[in-house]
Amino acid sequence: MGLDIPVFQAYRGTSPPRFASPAELECAKVLDYYGIPWLYEPRTFVLETDEDGRVIEAFAPDLYLPEQDLYVELTAMKQSLVTRKNRKVRKLRERYPDVKIKLFYKRDIERLAQHFRLDLAS
Amino acid sequence: MRELGAEIARDYEGCEPILIGSLKASLVFISDLSRAIPILHAIDFVELAGYGSAQMGGHEQIRVLKDLDADIGGRDVIVVEDVIDTGLTLNYLVRTFELREPRSVAAVTLLDRPYRRLVDDLPVRYVGFVVPDELFVGYGFDLDEQWRHLPDLRVLREI
Repeated sequence: MGLDIPVFQAYRGTSPPRFASPAELECAKVLDYYGIPWLYEPRTFVLETDEDGRVIEAFAPDLYLPEQDLYVELTAMKQSLVTRKNRKVRKLRERYPDVKIKLFYKRDIERLAQHFRLDLAS
Repeated sequence: MRELGAEIARDYEGCEPILIGSLKASLVFISDLSRAIPILHAIDFVELAGYGSAQMGGHEQIRVLKDLDADIGGRDVIVVEDVIDTGLTLNYLVRTFELREPRSVAAVTLLDRPYRRLVDDLPVRYVGFVVPDELFVGYGFDLDEQWRHLPDLRVLREI
């Protein structure tokens, strides 16, 4: 995607994050700016297995904030197209009730961008 | 405002708290709030460089543009915010102030958007209004430094 990745201060991962979208990068930069420790896709949650125990559905939320013990999933899709993402988050909550996750929708990200003057177009 | 002031006065009776306003948007709110708190209290201000003004990549970190004039060690601090949504600014302020060993730190906000919170461990004790996902201007709230002067809070329609 050719995103320009800066040197992060509050990133707590061991290998460099590989962001899938400008929205992910910009949100990470905001967290970093405020000194909030964060990781990128540190854990993949198994959502469904077949009868042989093979994983047939899994979900890796975009960001994890260890001090908040909170996973954040960003979706820049139109509201009408987020059904699949909603279903994954709902499944995760059902299967891992102790895991805290927040889903940020396109509108939330736009508000964030407006507030922090983020560049989501690059 | 009267309700917030009375609640704070009741909780801090005999304590002489210090209200700390985060510039610039909280300016009008802290002025009205101070006048609504009948007990002795002090006022100070802090200003942080906003993320958007930094022309930055993630390598930069938040900067304090104006630090406190007062020593808050051993004192009861009440951070006065115009609005709390992600909670990132308040989280930073609380972490910074706690290094100075105040007796307590609490926060009061005129507007709250708890559904937008990214950090939850915030000492938000007093909330004026929980508001919907609208843009507000006036009463110190701005959009690119415009509309702060309007005497009342107004909802800005989509731009």
